[in-house]
Amino acid sequence: MKIFVRGGDFIYKGNTQETLSESLSEVFSNRVKEEKMILTLLAGNLIHGLLLGGVYGLATMGLSLIFGVINVVNVGHGQFIMVGAFVALTMFTVLGLSPVIAIPAALIIGMALGFFFFYTVMRRLIRAPELTSLLATFAMGILLEEIAKLIFGADFRGYYWAVGKITLPITTIPMSKLYAFIGSIAIALFLYLWFSKTRIGTAIRSVMEDSEGARVCGVNVSWIHALSFAIGIGLTVMSGVLLTMFIPVGINPYMGGGYTLKAFVIAVLGGLTSPYGAFFAGLIFGLIENGAYTLFALIPGVAPFPLTVSLAFWMLFFLLLVKPTGLLGK
Amino acid sequence: MKKTLPKYYPLIPVFAAYLIMFLIGFFVPGMWQMVALLAFYCALGQSWNIFMGMTGYVDFGYVTFIALGTYGMSLGITYCSQYEWLGIGIIVIGFILAMFLASLSALLEAFIALRLRGAYFAIACIGINEGLRYFIEGAKIWGGSEGLIYFGALVQALGRDTVNQLTSFWADFSVFIIAALAAFLNMHYMRSKIGYALTAVREDEDAAKVMGINANKYKTIAFLTSGWLGAGVGAMAWGLKLGYVYPGDVFVIHYTVECIVVVLLGGAGTLLGPVVGGLIYGLSKYWLAVIMPGFQLLIFAPIIIIIIVAAPEGVVGLLKRRLKGTRLEMFIE
Amino acid sequence: MALLKLENITKRFGGLVAVDKVSLEINEGELIGIVGPNGSGKTTLFNVISGVYTPEEGKVIFDGKDITRLPAYKRAPLGLGRTFQIPRPFSSASVRENVAIGAMFGTLADKVTVDDSLEIADRYIDLVGLEAHRDKASGDLTPVEKKLMEIARALAMRPKLLLMDEAMAGMNPKDIDDMVKFIKRIKEEEKIAIISMVEHIMRAVVGLAERVMVMNQGAKLVDAKTEEALADPRVIEVYLGQPTEQSKWRSEVWKEGKGEDE
Repeated sequence: MKIFVRGGDFIYKGNTQETLSESLSEVFSNRVKEEKMILTLLAGNLIHGLLLGGVYGLATMGLSLIFGVINVVNVGHGQFIMVGAFVALTMFTVLGLSPVIAIPAALIIGMALGFFFFYTVMRRLIRAPELTSLLATFAMGILLEEIAKLIFGADFRGYYWAVGKITLPITTIPMSKLYAFIGSIAIALFLYLWFSKTRIGTAIRSVMEDSEGARVCGVNVSWIHALSFAIGIGLTVMSGVLLTMFIPVGINPYMGGGYTLKAFVIAVLGGLTSPYGAFFAGLIFGLIENGAYTLFALIPGVAPFPLTVSLAFWMLFFLLLVKPTGLLGK
Repeated sequence: MKKTLPKYYPLIPVFAAYLIMFLIGFFVPGMWQMVALLAFYCALGQSWNIFMGMTGYVDFGYVTFIALGTYGMSLGITYCSQYEWLGIGIIVIGFILAMFLASLSALLEAFIALRLRGAYFAIACIGINEGLRYFIEGAKIWGGSEGLIYFGALVQALGRDTVNQLTSFWADFSVFIIAALAAFLNMHYMRSKIGYALTAVREDEDAAKVMGINANKYKTIAFLTSGWLGAGVGAMAWGLKLGYVYPGDVFVIHYTVECIVVVLLGGAGTLLGPVVGGLIYGLSKYWLAVIMPGFQLLIFAPIIIIIIVAAPEGVVGLLKRRLKGTRLEMFIE
Repeated sequence: MALLKLENITKRFGGLVAVDKVSLEINEGELIGIVGPNGSGKTTLFNVISGVYTPEEGKVIFDGKDITRLPAYKRAPLGLGRTFQIPRPFSSASVRENVAIGAMFGTLADKVTVDDSLEIADRYIDLVGLEAHRDKASGDLTPVEKKLMEIARALAMRPKLLLMDEAMAGMNPKDIDDMVKFIKRIKEEEKIAIISMVEHIMRAVVGLAERVMVMNQGAKLVDAKTEEALADPRVIEVYLGQPTEQSKWRSEVWKEGKGEDE
């Protein structure tokens, strides 16, 4: 696929995602020279970044929840996002249903997948060495990718949910993105309330703190493990639905890998075991990503898109260097 | 001397396996490519296993070393092939560059990531791999995303016959050498101070430090060794043999996973494991590519999961348990 | 000249002062007990000496050298051996390998080969009487055997000073008496200084050390000959306090020697 950037074109042929919107590249196709224009552009892109950041945040909450409760890093995380994207795509193009309906469907499908993988695989690996759980989740990811390829083929696809747009002085925002952002916040808020107000939410929090203590207090820890894994996967698949608003032509069986890595960066930024930390870190990450993209695009002779992706990892590096012990939770 | 000799007995089955593979490839017509593929997996598994087996760290970003090794060779050939008087020396320069790049990244990773444990280490290593890949693409260094294509330059510098020999025999042969070297170093480390130090560190790092063990030094030694061997495989099996490199082709986590699968199939932390695992994996992949092209991963993914859940010790782990107490025990490690 | 000299050591964890201006001197070949109730800062002090923690204030001088900021792995070869309160064997390695690790890395002489250190290990395994378990995985030993193995491992480092953290916790009176005799014997045979930390087994302290430092709430309370120190009213108060039901119960536990630190 081709993305037109600053007159020169950059051909991107990886199997990863293309998150930056069409409107962004449209803007870039005009050469930007004046400082004022740059600032306007930056401000506009930061708004898009914030909207995308909300979805990033939601997409990472599941990773943090699973790590917090069963202490497993889901290396196949992004592939569950991919599942969500295909759920939305299929419901929209084949069944003609709007993404609003795809959200609860994605939750159900995600939780079913979560319970299935938990009871067949993860349950046996909770106390096993890390090698095994990392590899098992990676293999799950590959399995999902290959099944998706079998069903949908390897092409890039997409759809556009035309629900109007808002025109601001600095940028134009499609309503679909705004809805996705609002959806992310609503789901995150709902999760927060559910965690803090309900019995089962409290039980999950207690297992996160100290699973032995929770067991002694009569919490059914193995059920909480299963439920948290399923909710974590459910959240992730739902976020995949919302993400499709931002990737009009980026749906592909192999799109997940890049999101796994972004989710790692966001999760580490947010403290790894805290789902809410992850949500806010997602917002920050969205802002940094789009802001950096805008600025990198001004540097002649570089490809801004991959440079932005690499920035995420330098950030990760820096975080781990500055605060390695703090991140370990001690 | 008499006392130290039996220590290296477990190398005998490993070397025997490599020798048999080599002889089959060399003398049976049409077998060389398949044997080379098997050697490739054995070598990678063996190299990855040195670090994992001795320290317990799971390096998910191991492919970084293979990729940088490939780039080292590519850069050596691309930029030195114009100097005619260097002759075959450009391969040597490429190899040295491969080792240099691998050392650089290993030391950087060691500095940052070896202080972390478990999941954080895995995340950091994946991050380094992806960061490097996208940095090469983004900053457009070393050809950016278009990569380096230097097969023509190689032919021009060394002549078609030499290049044919190099790519069809010597590149693969050197993979055999690296595989054997990896096994030897692994054995040697296990039986030397490094092995004792890393056992202590793996079991209880703080107690090891109080015993006078410089944990980071020994971890870095194992990490560097593992990285050098991986870079060697990359330089020879990809850099020299293929004659081109793209960042999107080489910095691919799937190759790390292949290393891990090889090791896990055979038996993590064992000496013979990567050989057995490499043979099983290589053969089944080859076979699946023939009977169901395009579906290898679909079949492998559930197999990986089943092995992890049902037989985490791997083939050699099970064998070791069987042979415990018999005279064959000393040959299996 | 003192072998180990602590000058006004202070170690804080956040707002908590774990060790408060403690000074101490130990001469070569001396055996001293450090006594104090749970949480009095003994283990923290050990960790400051062996390099697990760096103190906020004060100096650690060992053998005439200021080692306050030296990392742990550099201190051990200077002649500082230690055992742990809860034994920390390298579980998957055999007893012989565990002790050999001490011999290999615990000395300044870098010409110690693997074979040499295995031989040295055998000697110390015999000394502590674990020869029957030489090739057993150290994780499979009983707690008392693990303690003995740790002592062998620390001795194989050929230390000038051995720090023993609760060598006798959890032992029955007979084992305690044996251990006391054993510690005295190795002190004479190996010609080393020993700091032995004891939480509450008075029976052990009395038999073991000529000199005792009593700690309370991070600070040094008394540093004197054993009989004098234990007769000191301040020490008695620290240990028994106001006689409440709980303290009576605890003193019963002490007598039986079943108490565990922390």
